[in-house]
Amino acid sequence: MVPVRAAGGCFGIAGCEMIALDDDERIRMTDTAAAPELHFEAPGPGSYELDPVHFPRPLTRYWTEVHPAAFAAGTADFARYYGMLMGGLRMSYVNGFGYKSVAPPPEQEIPQRFARAEEVFAGKLWREQLREWDETAKPTAIAKHRELQAVDPDALSDDELQAYLRRCRDHHAAMITQHMRFTASAVVPTGDFLAHLSDWTDVPPAELLSLMRGASPVSAGASAELERLVAALRADPAGQELLASTGDAGSVLAELRTREGETGEAVSAYLDLVGNRPLDGFDISEPSALELPDALLRAIRTAVAGDVAADDVEERIAAVRAQVPEEHRDEFDELLGEARLMYRLRDERGVYSDVWASGIMRRATLGAGRRLAAAGRIHQPAHLLDAGLDEMCDLLAGAEAPSAEELAARAAYRAAHSAKDAPATLGPPAPPPPDASGLPPGIARLMRGTGVALGALFGSSEAEHEEHLLRGLAASPGVYEGTARLVSGPTEFERIVQGDVLVTMSTTEAFNILLPLLGGIVTDSGGLLSHSAIVAREYGIPGVVGTRQGTELIADGARVRVDGTAGEVTVLA
Amino acid sequence: MTGVLPLREVADTSVFGSKAVGLGEAVRAGLPVPDGFALSGSTVEEVAAGDEATVESVTSTVRPLGGPLAVRSSAVDEDGADASFAGQHLTLLNVPTVDALPAALGEIWWSANSDSAISYRKRVGLFTRPSVAVVVQRLLDPDTAGVMFTRNPVTGADERMIEASLGLGEAVVAGLVIPDSYRLDRETNVLESRPGLKRIAIRRREGGGTFEEEVPAAAVERPCLSEDDLAALGELATRCEDVYGPGRDIEWAIADGTLYLLQCRAVTR
Amino acid sequence: MAGAPVEALRRVPLFADLDGEELQQVALLFKRRTFAQGETVMREGTDGAAFFLIETGEASVSVAGTARANLRAGDHFGEIALIDEGVRSATITAVTDLDCYGLTYWEFRPLLLANGAIGMKLLQSLAQKLRSAEAS
Repeated sequence: MVPVRAAGGCFGIAGCEMIALDDDERIRMTDTAAAPELHFEAPGPGSYELDPVHFPRPLTRYWTEVHPAAFAAGTADFARYYGMLMGGLRMSYVNGFGYKSVAPPPEQEIPQRFARAEEVFAGKLWREQLREWDETAKPTAIAKHRELQAVDPDALSDDELQAYLRRCRDHHAAMITQHMRFTASAVVPTGDFLAHLSDWTDVPPAELLSLMRGASPVSAGASAELERLVAALRADPAGQELLASTGDAGSVLAELRTREGETGEAVSAYLDLVGNRPLDGFDISEPSALELPDALLRAIRTAVAGDVAADDVEERIAAVRAQVPEEHRDEFDELLGEARLMYRLRDERGVYSDVWASGIMRRATLGAGRRLAAAGRIHQPAHLLDAGLDEMCDLLAGAEAPSAEELAARAAYRAAHSAKDAPATLGPPAPPPPDASGLPPGIARLMRGTGVALGALFGSSEAEHEEHLLRGLAASPGVYEGTARLVSGPTEFERIVQGDVLVTMSTTEAFNILLPLLGGIVTDSGGLLSHSAIVAREYGIPGVVGTRQGTELIADGARVRVDGTAGEVTVLA
Repeated sequence: MTGVLPLREVADTSVFGSKAVGLGEAVRAGLPVPDGFALSGSTVEEVAAGDEATVESVTSTVRPLGGPLAVRSSAVDEDGADASFAGQHLTLLNVPTVDALPAALGEIWWSANSDSAISYRKRVGLFTRPSVAVVVQRLLDPDTAGVMFTRNPVTGADERMIEASLGLGEAVVAGLVIPDSYRLDRETNVLESRPGLKRIAIRRREGGGTFEEEVPAAAVERPCLSEDDLAALGELATRCEDVYGPGRDIEWAIADGTLYLLQCRAVTR
Repeated sequence: MAGAPVEALRRVPLFADLDGEELQQVALLFKRRTFAQGETVMREGTDGAAFFLIETGEASVSVAGTARANLRAGDHFGEIALIDEGVRSATITAVTDLDCYGLTYWEFRPLLLANGAIGMKLLQSLAQKLRSAEAS
């Protein structure tokens, strides 16, 4: 729980925890916010690139200690498997911000790499990885997650809790490595498909990627548990009414969970699966689904309502195929087939590996945090998320460890900064990739496909800096730039920080208490006479309503410009 | 019992709150307001406390309304412009019968005295105890409903701006849909019309409460108001201005072919 | 029936020293309030206006995220609110549907001023809580 900076006196935000800030704390937080310049230095020789897409905010100390080695091991693995000309990727953390760099391949392995790359396409080696994922890696990981999740941290002694924290951390590290191990399998066939299509047609990458739709139910949040839940509710009209009822989201979920029969069982099974996962992001500082019942309830409602637009993908595939020269159409079918086959691995490798493990680590950490806060050792349970693993154990053991103020300061630092505060690169500029024309065909094809895929799938720096414009109704005049905060209901209100732009589907009077904190309002639905429009005008802050897809297209934490006079919202980065 | 009055007779804002008094004025002016009663703040408190005599008196007075009922709070001391951000006003749509009314009044009393309401009042500088009066009316089952301003709130132009959607007007007020939108001049000529995206309709649920009903695909972007509807709304706007003056924020509903006025207050912004 | 049932109050130590008539007076001030299972009854850190007595049902108490004992029929909570609208010191959640009787500061205060015995009892109850909080 991050202290909320308030304008002037202590703001009572109904339904939220609030720290009563004393004057010293308030001043200290303001100092952090107006930060003296952070000093950035390249962590070593070579070129480093900021990764604001995966890491839009500074990471916790825990993360910066766990991630690098696990990440390096996993990426080295896929580089070797696919015969890539690199030793792997590296993540380094400077002032908590994530920077990526590329490790050179071990020279003695280069001939093997060339040979391997040839085999990759000839043997469709990604399929072996998919088999390994489905048959071994994924089920083993799920079993381990459930085993750890079944432990109640509150029931453990201090010693047992320390051991449990270590187990969760080790599992998390293994899962980070696993995630990266399977990365290339998700990327290579898709990139290969995109690269070939760009030779044959002018169809833009975004449209080509949309041909993957239906190939990855997991990215839409689907799973066997969700399917069971949807089926149960569709057969249960009274359950559907309950689902649709307006009221406290926590209560509605509790009622659904305890409902007699299949519905209750299906809801419980689903909540057990997704409850401990962060809804967004990877770090243990991100709230889990169960901590955000409004968002969770909406996700269930959307799933039950059904996917409206799933079904024209066959038509669109045919339309693109028609643009491919006839002599390449068989190849088109083959390449698309491989890309679609592998596409689900892109999301599954995260969701079933480190995303889940991160949620489990968070849960364990909050359990320890509660204990330490009750003992007065730290100010808030959530501050323990800013301790490294050894520090967490030292605190539990009563050994020398960071003070409560130190941890609180770390949390405040993370809340006050975003990737905008960090330079895009450190060290010398990256050298251009080797000229593919001089390389054997297999490796050239691999490099090209990988390069294309990384640009299209993971948002290269060009994609990030593209401005995305949304239009809606010009509800309240003025222009404002600030950080977008996606809030779906009262349980998320505490995430709003002074000066944020509220981005939400619609507002009710319950949102009124946020108004003094907001710099602008953006909603998906609503007209000029709706509640959000009226309060934006009354409060004199820029407002754009009825954007339709604001909550989908604006990422939480993104910097946005709200132009309430023109009715436009621009996502700046 | 002076704590329960038919809307027609309501005039004292210190007893019944400005919402109730506003409706009273509308009824007296012959505007099409659904039948109803206002309950004073002390009456609501007595019912919440379980005072048998008051409960009996309220239920017997209100019984002729039948059911289902819409129960809206009418805050007594958040007066002045009744700014939208002034407070949290609980509205209970679809209280199924008058026998369910005492429990509904208890809920409303408690929502006005809840921790969050009290916290909020203190933040905006109100330290006295809250008093919440209530308006009880027949709940309509509208085909379409929404909001109308008798002045363009963004440009200030002398126009009627209308936003409409299907089912209960909550969908427009709470911004749950992108409503159909119209701008009319004083002569009810249409200056601009824009269909919205009306994916859901709020409907009353059997046995009490409301739910979000999915609107059939064909109706989502089809304009829900006819020319006759717009003409009737234009006329209502003029009548409201005659009674209250310019700059009105009107909540309306069309049920069984009849246009009703649900609220008429000053445009705050 | 207006207010809380007198028998419900009799069980509450806070009102233990009141005679029949005083108990009647206090009982009349209460209003029934129900909470659905899973609902947050009160949240730490918000200003509190009401004191509650549980008639039926169960509620969980937590402070700074740590669970404390559960509350059941006959238990009460929120008494600081009877003295001033102070900040809630604990978060209370309905574990089952909860049937309560509640009383706000504005109802209680005149009684407190008029009846010293009730005030004394309240002070004793709070002192007791302070002691156990300091001891743990």
